[in-house]
Amino acid sequence: MKKTTNKLIIENICLLFPFILYGIYKNGFLLYQKNLISVLEILKPLYLVLISVAIKIIVDLIKDKKINFDYNFVYVILIGMMMPCNINLILYTITFFVFYILFHFLEKYIKINKVCLIGLIIIFCNFLLNDFTYMSLLEKNYEFNFSFTDYLFGRNIGSISTSSIILSIISYIYLLGNFYYKKDIPFMINITYVILAFIYLFIYNDGTYLLNSELIFGSIFVATLSEYSPYSNKFQILYGIFIGIIAFIVSLLFDKILAIYIAIFITSTIMLILSLIKTKK
Amino acid sequence: MKNLIKIKDHESIKFVNEINYFRAPEKIYVPTKCLKETFKINDYVFKNTIFDNYVSSVSGKIINVDEILYNNSKSEVLVVENDYKENINNKNKKVKIKSKEDLIEVIKKYNLENIYKKITEIKDISHFVVKSIDEEVYSIKQLILLQNYYHEILETINLIQSVLKLKQSLLVTKNTNFNSIKNVKSIIGTYPNIMIRLVEDKYLIGEDVFLCKHLNYNLQKTLILTVEEILEIHNIIFGHSMVETIITVSGNKIKSPLIMSVRIGTSLKEIMSKYLSDLGTDYDIFINGLLKGYRIKDGEDILISKEIHSIVINKIERKSITNCINCGACKKICPVNINVKLCYEKKLKHKKCLGCGLCNYICPANLKLKEIVSGDKL
Repeated sequence: MKKTTNKLIIENICLLFPFILYGIYKNGFLLYQKNLISVLEILKPLYLVLISVAIKIIVDLIKDKKINFDYNFVYVILIGMMMPCNINLILYTITFFVFYILFHFLEKYIKINKVCLIGLIIIFCNFLLNDFTYMSLLEKNYEFNFSFTDYLFGRNIGSISTSSIILSIISYIYLLGNFYYKKDIPFMINITYVILAFIYLFIYNDGTYLLNSELIFGSIFVATLSEYSPYSNKFQILYGIFIGIIAFIVSLLFDKILAIYIAIFITSTIMLILSLIKTKK
Repeated sequence: MKNLIKIKDHESIKFVNEINYFRAPEKIYVPTKCLKETFKINDYVFKNTIFDNYVSSVSGKIINVDEILYNNSKSEVLVVENDYKENINNKNKKVKIKSKEDLIEVIKKYNLENIYKKITEIKDISHFVVKSIDEEVYSIKQLILLQNYYHEILETINLIQSVLKLKQSLLVTKNTNFNSIKNVKSIIGTYPNIMIRLVEDKYLIGEDVFLCKHLNYNLQKTLILTVEEILEIHNIIFGHSMVETIITVSGNKIKSPLIMSVRIGTSLKEIMSKYLSDLGTDYDIFINGLLKGYRIKDGEDILISKEIHSIVINKIERKSITNCINCGACKKICPVNINVKLCYEKKLKHKKCLGCGLCNYICPANLKLKEIVSGDKL
């Protein structure tokens, strides 16, 4: 039952590893088979994660002259995983380095959800230079009619390493046995989102919002990050419902894939503002 | 109130059901705050001399005044050198108890504060429960007492029950205490009004509030005593003095855990020098368990009082303390629903805290939460 912080971090990283492997298969190996990318590009999902980890280590060495084994390892890996397939590696390295340093030092004064904020800024910068798309070259060149099992196993449009719903569900089942895991949050997010998607389906006869692999991944790994989510049960439920509602609105109005990260960012920022007001009072 | 949890003990630490008697300490220590009258160096102290809340367990001369740890605080003590003569000044007489008032008077006379408080606080006692439940994983004091003194315990329960004019009383023990259950069951037929009730081996089940909830009894109307308290009453009634106490000595630094019966007032160092001389230096000593108890500083000595039930000697394990990760596990596990994290951040003591130590146990950052919330010393 008892686990130390280090053990929790290692467990989290181990759970993310299969997603990276699947990302390499889906957005690397399959593309290489169709001669859409070079051999070196097969490992792009891994490069992104390694770049993030390297930057984290460099910043640690600059700041504390030693490598700190802390939750930032999980944060940077998550940022690397939530990038779109067409991300430019040089642009990613520069923007990640700049904003990671910036928010790392700002963290003392303001506790903001680093994963969502840095991730969204990098994605935004990438969109300024590249197309606004989450499709891989394979998905761009071929027409797809994804079945339910395709979605489950990750054959759908999503971030570079997060699209497998089945892996997300397995991870969630495993995490349910973890006493420290805030299991109510993903449950409430997904329930709220699915209810709204069903209502939308009945009114507009459009079921495209029902299955969202990014929402499932984000709700399980990003929304539950201990530091940025409430610790009391009641607030966890409210937090989950709120994210679910915002995520659905954002996916309707803007983008289905980015919706969860925007929703988490908005909700945790509102929570932060409320707690600041409460402390001032 | 939440569901209680079972805390697993280490498989390799198993007690052998044999008591080691340590009845001849070289010295015993008597805290001066327990003295009613003044004693000087070279004064003679008889065995069974009753101080305020304390009985001299040997006879001998006072040779010195010293300082030693007593109930987790440094206290001034008189050092009594044992002359091994077991001289008794006046033998205790049997006491006849016919009514509740007699019982209360005797308890008051012999300074059994805890029992006095419990009996006088409850105006209308509707249930009488005697528990033989050890909370901490490596403590089996209550179990050993029941296993060895079941005759005396049942006899006293029967007497108290008749004095309190109750129809029935309950003896509660854990369902894993096989030997005690076997012993009690062999003679319980003689006492038709005493029932035995087995409870699950879960942490905190012995806390009065949880026990009453489990038994469906009203806490305000239930008198709950431990088997140790019952034996104290028995000793008063039959004119015996409680000069010995049972302690368990265990931990991953010890090859074979010990159950010991030692004279009250003996120092831990003396026990260790006799029984655990091959320990070396790299160990930590925890008094009264790893969860509820406290660690004593290196080289510090402690007086064995009747409040001590277990000594755990573990290999030194320096846990790295990290920042709070906001996981909320401390709040989730707290049996009385205290917002432990909030109390810790604001450095607030909480009056509902049981000091069970579950928050310390579960915290992944190894923060000293219990010490803040319960108001214990760090």
